[in-house]
Amino acid sequence: MRRLFAFAALLAASCSDNAGGDGRAEIYLQRFFGECGAQYGGATDVSKVEGECGIITAMINKFNANNPDVHVSSNVVAWPGYPQLSAQMAAKDPPDLVTMHTGVISDYAAEGLLEPVEPYLAEAGLSPSALTDASRSAVTIGGRLYGLPFDTHGGLFHINTKLFAEAGLMKGGKPVLPTSPEEMLAHARQFKERTGKPYLIQSLVGDNAYAARNVYTYLLAQNAVLFPNPRQIRLQTPEAARIVDFFRAITASGVSTRNQDTPAAIASFMSGEGGIYPTGTWMIGQFEAEANTPGRPLYQGYTVYPYPRLWGADVSYVSGHAWVVPRRERTPEQSRAIARFFRFVAEHNFDWARTGHLPAFKAVVESPAFKALPHRTNLVPVARTGRPLPGGVQRQNAIEGLVGEEIAAAFNGQKPTRRALADAERRVNALLAQTD
Amino acid sequence: MAADASRTRWSPMTLLAILLAAFVMLAPLIWTLLLSLKENEALIGNSGAALSPPYTLENYRSILQGNQVFRWLLNSLIVSGGTTIGVLALCSLAGFGFARLDFPFRRTLFIFVLLGLAIPEQAVILPQHQLFADLRLHNSYPGLILPGLAGPFGVFFMTQYMRAIPKELDEAAMLDGASRFTLFWKVLMPLTLPAQATLGVFTFLGTWNAYWWPLISATRSDMYTLTVGLAAAQMNYAQTSGLGFLMAQAVFASIPIFVVYILFQKHIVRAMAGTAVK
Repeated sequence: MRRLFAFAALLAASCSDNAGGDGRAEIYLQRFFGECGAQYGGATDVSKVEGECGIITAMINKFNANNPDVHVSSNVVAWPGYPQLSAQMAAKDPPDLVTMHTGVISDYAAEGLLEPVEPYLAEAGLSPSALTDASRSAVTIGGRLYGLPFDTHGGLFHINTKLFAEAGLMKGGKPVLPTSPEEMLAHARQFKERTGKPYLIQSLVGDNAYAARNVYTYLLAQNAVLFPNPRQIRLQTPEAARIVDFFRAITASGVSTRNQDTPAAIASFMSGEGGIYPTGTWMIGQFEAEANTPGRPLYQGYTVYPYPRLWGADVSYVSGHAWVVPRRERTPEQSRAIARFFRFVAEHNFDWARTGHLPAFKAVVESPAFKALPHRTNLVPVARTGRPLPGGVQRQNAIEGLVGEEIAAAFNGQKPTRRALADAERRVNALLAQTD
Repeated sequence: MAADASRTRWSPMTLLAILLAAFVMLAPLIWTLLLSLKENEALIGNSGAALSPPYTLENYRSILQGNQVFRWLLNSLIVSGGTTIGVLALCSLAGFGFARLDFPFRRTLFIFVLLGLAIPEQAVILPQHQLFADLRLHNSYPGLILPGLAGPFGVFFMTQYMRAIPKELDEAAMLDGASRFTLFWKVLMPLTLPAQATLGVFTFLGTWNAYWWPLISATRSDMYTLTVGLAAAQMNYAQTSGLGFLMAQAVFASIPIFVVYILFQKHIVRAMAGTAVK
C-alpha cells in the first residue's frame, strides 16, 4: 500500500505545474532554431555568439540576466513546432511567446488564437512605422498586427564569383546578373561553355519551396494577381506560364543541375560545382564561412544578390520570422514582461541580422553596422522590394507545398507547363475551399 | 546442431546471396556510423569523406554535453519501461480472461478488441488529445504511458498463446485448491514467458521509437522523449553543416534499442518466425 501511495505521489508530482513561485513574472517562450545549450547555455554576450541557435539562446540569457523581476523559460521544439503549438492551443495551455513564420500567422489569427500585438508595441514604445514595409506587411492581417517581426527572409542568388570570372561574367569586381530571361539563358550557355559546369544549381527534388519561391517572385514582379481573394489562387495566367516555361527551358538546355535535393544542391555549391544557387538568406553565414576558409572551393569566391529583375518590377517574394502572442489569460505583470521582451528584441535586431536574415527595423537596415556586414549592402533593397503573400490567405505553408510540387514537376519536364499550373490551381483552390 | 546441419547444406551461391543481402541491409547502418565518426567540416560538400580516416568521437562528445540529453534518455526509459510493464500486465490478464474464463459476451468483447487493430492512431488522436487535456495529463509520464497500454495486438497475442496451453493444467490446479488468480499467477504465467518476452520486446521498441504522440503530448522540453528531443536539437537548415552530428544522434538514439535486440534476439527471431505462439 505504501508503494501505491508513493506511486500516486509521483503521478501527482509529475502532473503538477512547475511555474516558479519566487514572485517573478514567469514568461513561457517556445521557439525553433534548435537546441545549443551545450555550446551557448551560459552565454549572455550576444555579439560573441554565432548562428541562429547561438544568437537566440544568448539573447534570452541576456534578457533574463538584465531583468531580475522576469523569468523567461525557453522551450525548444522540433522544427517548425506547429503540431506542438496546435496541440497546446487545443489543450488551452499555449506558451506566452512563440516564434512563427509570418506565412503561418493567418492560420492561427483566423481562429482567434493570437492576440493583436499593438498594445504590447505601445507599452514597449515601438511604433509599427519603425518596421520595414516587408516585415510589417508580413504580420498585418485585416489592418491588425499579429506579431513582432524580427527578420525578413527570402530567396537570393548565391554566386560563385571564381566561376563567374572564369566564364567572363564579372565586371568591376561584381557579377554580371541578367536583366531579362533571354539574357539569363545566354549567360547560362556562356557559363557552361567556358567552365563546363552548370550556371544554375536547382534543388528540385523534395524542395517545394524552391520552385514556389521562383514563381511567386516573378509573378509579383509582373504585378500578377496571384490571389484575387483570400480563398482563391489564380495560376493559369500568361505571366505564370512565361515563368514556368523559362525555368523549364533552363533545365532542359543542360545549363542547370537536375535531380538534386536541398543538401545535394548546397553541397554542389559549396564544392564549386555551379555558378548560382538560388536559396534563402539563411545560408549566407554558412557560405560566407566557406568563403573565409583557405583551401575551400568557395574561398574568396562568394557573393550574394537579390533575385535579378527578369520581368516587370524589382520585387522579391519574402517571408519572415515573428514573435506572436497566443491568446490566454495573463497577469498584468506578464503582459508588461512580454512588452519588455519586445523592446529587447527590437534593440537586438542587429544581432539577429548577423544570421543572414534581413532586419525587421528600418533603422537597423540603414545602420552602418549592418551595412558593414559581408554582402549586406547588396541586400538592403530587399527590405523595400520584398513582398509577402497577402496576409489574409490561410494555409500558406501547405499552398507553397502544392504549388512547389506541381511547378517543380514542370521545371523538371515531368509535366507540361499548362497542366502543372492547372493542377496546382485546382489543388490549392480545393484546399482553400476548406478554410473558414 | 540443427542450425549447424542446415548451414552445411547451403551452396556457395546461396551463401554469396545471403552475404550480399546482408551487406545491402547493413550498408546504410555502416554509412551512418562512419558519418557519425567524421568531423562535420570534413563532410561539407562531400559526404564521401566518411570512407577514409581520420575519425573522431567529437560528435558523440557534443551529444553528451547537451543540456537535456540525459533527461530525454531517462524519459524514454521511463516511458518505454512503464508502457512495457503495463502492457504485459494488462494483456496477460486480458488474455487469461479471454482464453480461460467463461463470461457473457466474451466473443463479442474479443471481436471488439480485435477491431482496435484496424483503427490507426491518427484516427483517434484528436479525442485522445482532448481527453488527456481535460485530465491535465499532458507533459507527464502518465500522459505518455497510458495511451500505449491500450494494446489490442497484445491482448490478441496473449489470448492466442494461452489458448494453446492445455486446459488440463487448470483442472489439476483447481483440484489442488488453487484460486483463479493463483492459476493465473503460479501456473499459466510461467508458461507464457516466451510470449511475454516477445510482446515485451516489441512494446519496448515501438514505444522507444514513438514520435507522434510524444511530440504533441510532451510539449515541454524537460518531458521530451529522446526521439522528440533529438529532433528539436537539430539547428541547421537541411543539416548541411552538421551531418556528422545528426548521424551521431541517430546512432546514440539507437544504442538502447541495439542492446535490447542483443539481449532478446532469440525471442525476436522466434516471434518473427511465428513460433512464439506454438
